[in-house]
Amino acid sequence: MNIIVCVKRVPLTQEVDLEIDDTGKKIKEDALAYVINDWDNYAIEAAVQFQEALGGEVTAVTIGNEDDEEVLRRALAMGADRAVRIDPGDLALDGYLNARILAKTISELDYDLILTGVQSEDQNTGMVGIMLAEQLGLAHAAVTNGVESDDGAAKVRVELEGGIDEVSRIQLPALLTIQTGINEPRYVSIMGIRKAKKKELKVMSLEDLGFAPEDLTPQTRIEEVFLPPETEGAEMIEGDPGTTAETIIRIMGEKGVTV
Amino acid sequence: MVSFPALVLQGACGISGHMVMWVIAIVALTVFAFIIRSRIDLLLAGQKDPRFSNLKQRFRDLVEYGFIQKRQPRYLWAGVIHIMIFWGFVVLGLRSLDLVTEGLGFPIFRPFMHSPLGVFYNSVKDVFELIVLIACIWAILRRAIVKPKRYEGSHTLEAYVVLGLIGFLMMTDMLFEGSGILLTGEAQGWLPAAWIGTLFLPENNPGVLSVIFRATYWLHILAFFVFLNLLPLFKHFHIITALPNVFFRKQNKGEIKPARYGVDDIFELETLGVEKIEDFTWKHILDLYTCTECGRCTDNCPANAIGRPLSPKELTIKLRDHAYKKYPILPSSAANKQGEEPVPMVGGIIGLDELWSCTTCGACEEECPVFIEYIDKIIDMRRHVLETSQNPKTFNQILMFVEKTGNPFGKPAAKRADWVKEQEAGDVKILKEGDRVDVLYYVDGYASFDPQSQKIAAAIVKGLKLAGMDFGILGKREKDTGHQVRRMGEEGLFQVLVEENTETLSSIDFKWIVTTDPHAYNALKKDYPEPYKVFHYTQFFLSLVETGHLRPQRSADRSDLYTYHDPCYLGRHNGIYDEPRRLLQSIPELRLVEMAKSRDRSFCCGGGDVMLWHEIEQEEMRMAEKRVRMALDTGANVMVTACPFCLIHFEDAIKTGGFEDRIRVVDLMELFMSAF
Repeated sequence: MNIIVCVKRVPLTQEVDLEIDDTGKKIKEDALAYVINDWDNYAIEAAVQFQEALGGEVTAVTIGNEDDEEVLRRALAMGADRAVRIDPGDLALDGYLNARILAKTISELDYDLILTGVQSEDQNTGMVGIMLAEQLGLAHAAVTNGVESDDGAAKVRVELEGGIDEVSRIQLPALLTIQTGINEPRYVSIMGIRKAKKKELKVMSLEDLGFAPEDLTPQTRIEEVFLPPETEGAEMIEGDPGTTAETIIRIMGEKGVTV
Repeated sequence: MVSFPALVLQGACGISGHMVMWVIAIVALTVFAFIIRSRIDLLLAGQKDPRFSNLKQRFRDLVEYGFIQKRQPRYLWAGVIHIMIFWGFVVLGLRSLDLVTEGLGFPIFRPFMHSPLGVFYNSVKDVFELIVLIACIWAILRRAIVKPKRYEGSHTLEAYVVLGLIGFLMMTDMLFEGSGILLTGEAQGWLPAAWIGTLFLPENNPGVLSVIFRATYWLHILAFFVFLNLLPLFKHFHIITALPNVFFRKQNKGEIKPARYGVDDIFELETLGVEKIEDFTWKHILDLYTCTECGRCTDNCPANAIGRPLSPKELTIKLRDHAYKKYPILPSSAANKQGEEPVPMVGGIIGLDELWSCTTCGACEEECPVFIEYIDKIIDMRRHVLETSQNPKTFNQILMFVEKTGNPFGKPAAKRADWVKEQEAGDVKILKEGDRVDVLYYVDGYASFDPQSQKIAAAIVKGLKLAGMDFGILGKREKDTGHQVRRMGEEGLFQVLVEENTETLSSIDFKWIVTTDPHAYNALKKDYPEPYKVFHYTQFFLSLVETGHLRPQRSADRSDLYTYHDPCYLGRHNGIYDEPRRLLQSIPELRLVEMAKSRDRSFCCGGGDVMLWHEIEQEEMRMAEKRVRMALDTGANVMVTACPFCLIHFEDAIKTGGFEDRIRVVDLMELFMSAF
């Protein structure tokens, strides 16, 4: 089974005091540390586990500059066989364009299954995987938290609202967006990542893919980026359980909740 | 003067006597060569390991630990017995050579034996025969009656066979010489053992005496060669390998061996770590040959003491059993020498949690009389585990954080110096490229980000200011030293950190580095290639006190009784035992007691490496709790330590163990600064 897995390099934002740049439309990114998007890490692991069990090849794809190759090397170290980076140059991207570029790239590859993360940690739109399926005319399952091969098809478990899981059978080729927790991604050492430099990593430009600049107009426009306004602090309710309960009921009443 | 062996071989059976001896010797030595061949094969299959540096020190160690056996009496009576037998062997070696060469018909030692000095030697030898015999009986009785716990899991039958055989050698020689004296009426020197022998002999029956005379000689010779051939088969191989093992011992404690010796850039290697027995260095294989299964390592292993699945002794025994199976005496039984092994060595014979149980505290290595190395072997196996992604999953994020942010918490590098403000430590110079400073204070990750450890950093800053020192910190340019990641087996990441930190340090002109953390101290001193002048704060502040820069004035409360816990990477790994104690005692009126296990027998708090991020389920009690109980046994109500990890572990153990009203823990630096 040949698998394509789409990956993205994202900033590590845990506990970082994010700053907005002068244009007011972007976050200052220069001081940030970058890692692989967490969801994509699970997607790679899922792809590699399939390949180990069923054979075939895994190709990792990303859109980005040279620094973004780091996540491809990581994918290669985890067990992917080859990698493709599409260099967008200075082009401003959105989910729609990402999906289009990926679709064009992937349409020229041989695949049975495409895996993406559910969403990316930086933009959190959750669009690219689904739009990519649409562009390629593939069936898809979103927020997949379980997948098994099932005789030319795949049995997938997806998360629905309210903690309900749904299991269905999907005909291949198909696209799955992978939820975190579906597996336990393996550790790849620095040594492993360095060794992965020996594997094939192909770089393509948008021209190579046959895009003309006017083809690539973003469908979304960012008006403003701002930090959430600070709201009033929480109130700690102290005292014995009886008085605390009374206070809670009083507050709820004040807010218009009747018990 | 007669030569007794010559007398045996004389007369009617004289020629055939020499012949018999030649046959015995040739057969025995051929068999020995055959046995030893597979042992040498394996040694040669091992990896490079340069052990010929610093020869002067090596010879000194050979005398001190090999011949004087300085580590033996750490277990007093067992040590005394061992020294008796060892010195018996040294003295009796000449006697055995004499008996054998006489038998072979080349009595090269006879002139010496017949000289006045030889006669004196004969008396000394006789005394030692008795000493060795007594020691053997004593050792047998200890095993049979006292049954020390540390011998559990050892090859006790081998011990009995060998002790019995040594005793037999002594007794046959006593009877041989005794009967010789009775037959000839000649005694060379004062011979108490031979005299005891005569008590058991029929004095007036020359016929029987003559038979005993010959029989005991030949039995002694046979026993001697059987003994020789048993050595490489039994744990008593150490009789041959122990002295070389001591000579080639690791000299720089605390340092972790490189992934491969002789390889400058590890990224050129195909793989890291030890997967199969041949991946160990030849010295580490020699370690396996040398273990006598005395169990002192396991007896002092804190992981073992709290029920974790690690026993250093059994680790060695398992590896050795595996090695001997893979390199058997009879080549035909080497079923799996080539091809896939049915049970992997790492992850099978040696369990993964066995490897992760170790805190690298070094108690086992401190105790081993023959300097067997455990930490390097364990780290080497961990390297393989990590490279093949078999590591605990909890490591993934920690290692990623260290790689990306320079600390295991994943806190932004930009916030690394925020502790200065948070702890209200006043102004602290953050060093920029090209800055010049006397003291570069290396804070490291825990003291930068962990609220409890930050207080130590704040106290250090306060002290440096009080002493008027010119100092600075690296701020966001500082990354963790990599002590932890190296010991977790992530050698590649460690090398990257070394490269980055070395570059940062090279951009600053400083005289000394002072560290909060003994682990960072050890890493910068032992694991980094540059010869920095590194001091742990205990050393540095003691020198400030002793040169009159600082003088604690406020007395300690007389109602408090303090006990000092030696952090492993300060004490055992770096020999810093006295400085912290002297710094403590610079505080007026401070009352200090020692725990039963202190200094080089200190009991690890739980460790600063793996244990922070991986829980070993098989555990009866927290290591730190066990240590807190030891502190309580002294009657102390304050535990003092000098390492952020010890502080964290003990604080936790005091809370979870419910000892809060009986004892508290404090870092030495904070305590010291409270005296101003």
